[in-house]
Amino acid sequence: MNEHIIELSGVTVRKAKGVLLDGISLNVARNEFVGIIGSNGAGKTTLLNVIAGFERFEGELSLFGKPERWKRSRETRVRVGYIPQLFQIDPAFPILVSEAVMTGAIGRVGLFRSPGRKEKEKAMGLMEMMRVAHLLDRPLGQLSGGERQKVSLARVILQQPDILLMDEPTANLDIAVQKEVLNLINEIHQKENLTVLFVTHDFNMIPAGMKRVVLLNHGKIVFDGDIDVALSGDMLSTLFQYPLETFERDGRRFISYG
Amino acid sequence: MTEEDLSLMVDQIMDVLTYPPIQKAALACILCGASCSLLSVFVVLMKMPLIGVSMSHAAFAGAVMGMLLGFNPFLCGFIMCLLAAGVLGPLSDRTDIAPENVLGIMFSFLMGVAFLGMGILTRTKAGALNLMWGSLLSLSDSDIAVLTVITAILLLFIVMFFKEIRYVLFNRKLALAGGVPERFIYYALLFLTGAVISSNLATVGGLLIFALLVQPGATALQLTYNLRHFFLISVAAGIGSCVSGLIVSYVFNLPSGASVVLMATTIFAAAYVFSPKRHRRKKVKECISYEYDKR
Repeated sequence: MNEHIIELSGVTVRKAKGVLLDGISLNVARNEFVGIIGSNGAGKTTLLNVIAGFERFEGELSLFGKPERWKRSRETRVRVGYIPQLFQIDPAFPILVSEAVMTGAIGRVGLFRSPGRKEKEKAMGLMEMMRVAHLLDRPLGQLSGGERQKVSLARVILQQPDILLMDEPTANLDIAVQKEVLNLINEIHQKENLTVLFVTHDFNMIPAGMKRVVLLNHGKIVFDGDIDVALSGDMLSTLFQYPLETFERDGRRFISYG
Repeated sequence: MTEEDLSLMVDQIMDVLTYPPIQKAALACILCGASCSLLSVFVVLMKMPLIGVSMSHAAFAGAVMGMLLGFNPFLCGFIMCLLAAGVLGPLSDRTDIAPENVLGIMFSFLMGVAFLGMGILTRTKAGALNLMWGSLLSLSDSDIAVLTVITAILLLFIVMFFKEIRYVLFNRKLALAGGVPERFIYYALLFLTGAVISSNLATVGGLLIFALLVQPGATALQLTYNLRHFFLISVAAGIGSCVSGLIVSYVFNLPSGASVVLMATTIFAAAYVFSPKRHRRKKVKECISYEYDKR
């Protein structure tokens, strides 16, 4: 049996506006691809923030078999990669695509040392894999949303994480670009032997590698299991309190929003 | 102005530069321009001008209170800056409070403290006014020494942590996730902001320093996409504003602080007008409207 590299037990996050996570218990094995799905305010992003070490929490969290709090060592942080939703960058901001990708190597090389030739060659290879190598001298803020997310993927893989946390990485992208980014995510999941937690809203844009889904509602896990069971019309209708139907075409499952 | 007038003016300036107080003022101008413009890179790229303005008013309020209570005003200004940094840092990280509101309250509170102190200070009001506008011609050797040490520490900090700084400037959350000591960099910057502002109370004063914390960085933002060049352009703009402002104030007999700020604005305006980035954006827009018209 695969070892669990993420273990949460009774994790609770409280804020002035209420309880965002309510006693979450969850184990994720190495190399699993887990989808985190829920309505707005269900606690999806908070769950990723706890695992990434951005958020204070009550309860127990273990990463790679070691208990962790929100403050953690550089060695642990570099093993957990994070890709947020597409965010705005000032087009005049002084960072080029190649520099943005190279930031991924900074944590691993540590203080007072610069990334060497090995990291630069790896960065170039990743830019080619993500099909952004031709943009390496362009200011990052002038790229399209899809190109910026591909640069994000190259940056995070250069960090050489074991766990990859993705918070709606395809939101606000064109449909064709979403598909391309999802294919790249599948490719790196397989090639880099990563454990992936993927937050999404869009049931019609699920990466092919995702086999397990955790459904969240009001800060609690309401379902944890096989994607085929999770993405059934009844389950989703109950979760979102809205009539949803599922149908299959060419072996793929789609959701109809009624 | 004829060529003769110009050469006479240059001779006069060179003559004036032989006087030790003027030499000290010129050196202070260069150090002030360098230290403030290095910080302005962070203020502009991290979009935290309100933090800059609050810190400068904290230094001013601390120095006035120090003067009132008979302590070293610059040391009190520095302590007040550190306290403000200690409050502002965690508050700006909290997501349940709008930072603009907190900074607005902090800024007005510190102004209230400063003016309360000035109201009570009846006998040495001139000293308090110096803290507000600076007094370049009455700087002591220790003022220059403190300014030199703080500028050197800031420069060393930037050189030593340049790659980490780049990541933090790009995105603080991603830097933290990437294993960079993001909190150390951010809080070190806040404390260095406090140190630079309080050590410059004697040069440009607590009110006008804000201009030097924003304008050199905003000037560099118009001109380059390279972060190293960004720092260099910002420093050149900062030192250029201070030195040219001092010369203008001497030649036309104007207040030095105001001349420095106006020169900084002039340099920014020139950078904005001739910005290659702006022309590039304009070209892109023209292409888009041409494509649209063709349809």
